[in-house]
Amino acid sequence: MFALDEHIDLANKALIMVLTAAVAAIWSGPWTSLLVSAAAVLAFNFAFVPPRGAFTVGLHQHALLLVAMLTVSWIVALLVARLRWHAAQATAHSLRSDQLRRLGEALRAADDPVSQASALQEVLASLGGTSTTLLLSGDHGDVAAGGETAVTVGSTTPDEAAGLRLCMKDGRAMGPGTGRHEEQPAWYLPLRGLQSTQGAAIVRHLAGATGRDGLLGHAQALCDQMGAALERAAALRAAAAANEQAQAHALRNTLLTAISHDHRTPLATILGAASALHDQGERLSPAQSRRLAATIVDEATQLSRLTDNTLQLARLGMVGLALQRDWESIEEMVGTVLRRVRQRDASNRVKARVEPGLPLLRCDAVLIVQLLDNLVDNALKYGGAIAPVDMVARRRDGEIAIAVRDRGPGVPPAMRERIFDTFQRGDQVVTQDDVDRRPRRGAGVGLALCRAIARVHGGELRLRPRSHGGTSFELALPVDELPDDTPREDGEGSVS
Amino acid sequence: MSLGVLLVEDDRELRTTLREALMVEGYRVVASASLADARAVIAHALNEAGLDIVLLDLGLPDGDGDTLLAELRRARGTPVIVISARPGDDQKVRLLDAGADDYLVKPFSLAELLARMRVALRHRGTVVRPATTRYVRPGLVVDLEARRVHRENAEVHLTPTEYRLLSRLVRTAGQVVTHRQLLLDVWGFEYTEHTHYLRLYMAQLRAKLEAEPADPQMLLTEPGVGYRLAEPGE
Repeated sequence: MFALDEHIDLANKALIMVLTAAVAAIWSGPWTSLLVSAAAVLAFNFAFVPPRGAFTVGLHQHALLLVAMLTVSWIVALLVARLRWHAAQATAHSLRSDQLRRLGEALRAADDPVSQASALQEVLASLGGTSTTLLLSGDHGDVAAGGETAVTVGSTTPDEAAGLRLCMKDGRAMGPGTGRHEEQPAWYLPLRGLQSTQGAAIVRHLAGATGRDGLLGHAQALCDQMGAALERAAALRAAAAANEQAQAHALRNTLLTAISHDHRTPLATILGAASALHDQGERLSPAQSRRLAATIVDEATQLSRLTDNTLQLARLGMVGLALQRDWESIEEMVGTVLRRVRQRDASNRVKARVEPGLPLLRCDAVLIVQLLDNLVDNALKYGGAIAPVDMVARRRDGEIAIAVRDRGPGVPPAMRERIFDTFQRGDQVVTQDDVDRRPRRGAGVGLALCRAIARVHGGELRLRPRSHGGTSFELALPVDELPDDTPREDGEGSVS
Repeated sequence: MSLGVLLVEDDRELRTTLREALMVEGYRVVASASLADARAVIAHALNEAGLDIVLLDLGLPDGDGDTLLAELRRARGTPVIVISARPGDDQKVRLLDAGADDYLVKPFSLAELLARMRVALRHRGTVVRPATTRYVRPGLVVDLEARRVHRENAEVHLTPTEYRLLSRLVRTAGQVVTHRQLLLDVWGFEYTEHTHYLRLYMAQLRAKLEAEPADPQMLLTEPGVGYRLAEPGE
């Protein structure tokens, strides 16, 4: 400015001075700007305003100039400061909403919000606190001795622990700026859900950091997010537990119904025949005795099958059931079923067709045999007294399909899904084939068990009506990759 | 002289019924309801009339059947038939692997029990005499001494592994052999978990020996347990 002294007049110099002050205000804080601009005006007065070298002002107009300069500099400084404050405010807001959003996402993604406790701790610490400790209500189904199941994440002094518990109990914040227990050095914030308080957090901060605008509100918002997540998780857990209980209850009821109905009928027959043999033994003809004994054997066999099915169904309904899976051959399982059926049904009308070269299945052979045996038994019972029953195993769309087909009266469309429910059976249609007119029974648990077995193997059991009458029950099972160490022998040479 | 049967079964009704049914069939039956009781009978039987076969229930009030089996196996070759209440019972397979001769799942018919007992008693003789070396059924002759297999009068060519598997089953025809035992005897101890080997070779054997492999008459499957070669007369 001294270099320009000779070329420009005082007013222009003053303008340069104001410009400099404005530029300076952009970089320095509001108070610094105000002080510096005041000092600059004094210095300008001293150096340039005549009489030079003194703080006195010669002319009135110069005094006005100086006052105007100072005012303009101050206004600029204040405007810049305000602008900067607004910008900072906006940044802080976006940071906070970002934090809230990220914590919310983490909580939603986590199965158990408790696993995200450290995320909340980190966020709270980043707000200017030094460290935080969380107390989470331990409502995880396990009621420890004394009901004290809450978990503490982080370390606490006994005083702080008491504060956290109080805060969780009351569901209200404590500490500086909260209106309660202002003398405390730290904030105690409840983790609030919609209905209840799910825990509390203690936020210890550096001295002086408490006063920051809106910080308390933000910390509380973060804590509430955690609280809401905990509450949601607790609600889900409670719902799952209730559901499980209801299912167990339903299963128990089903089994009780099955036992009380399906088991009573054969038992009544057995009891009748046995007591006849016992009480009227000498008055019965040998042929009568034999017939009664045969009835007992038949009904007991039936009862034994029912018991097997009922027990197996109860077993499959148990949680954490381990299947005895091994590599099994379809041909062998089908063969076993055929053999079993032959022992009960002499008519020899069950035929099996197994496509050659089917892969081995990874399954529980005892269960699959029981499934197929039940289906064949059903087909024999409901499919008419003489009609053939076919078992067909083949590969279809990368799956193994085993069908048991009969030529019976079929199942009405309305019943096609319902017969898989426990304790349902087809309508008791009496046909010409049904010579002996015996009430047919036993499907009650059978098909439900069959479907349950198919499903624990990752497969499905479906009913398909056949085009020329009859029913086809089709079991679809997934194929697993055989271990890559399949033995191979060279040639088919004779034994030597 | 009649054959002696030790029946170890804790259910009173079943014990009484079986005892009477077996006595009608001409067996001399001693029944016991617990392991301790059975031990006393066995010790006594050593110097008395003798004991020819044991029917052993699992899950007795004073312990599992396997301890008794181990003691019996150490002392003598008396055949043991396991009577189990559940199909697919792990313990059943364990007992078979430990040397039990056969198993029956409750409920079973008397005819079935008698048939299994006859098979087990016949094999008892094989402890001293050479094992069965000739297996003859209508349509099939297996001659282990000559190492030849004939089906419908034509020689069947088997691979060495197929032959080893078949001959193992022939030696105990009529009795169930567990998967583990077969894998151990035919492939070796490092293969005892490779059930799929067994499945593949059984399928090959059935394809060569059975008229209808999906409906086998000789090479019979015991699901979850093992295989049984049908008795020649079956």
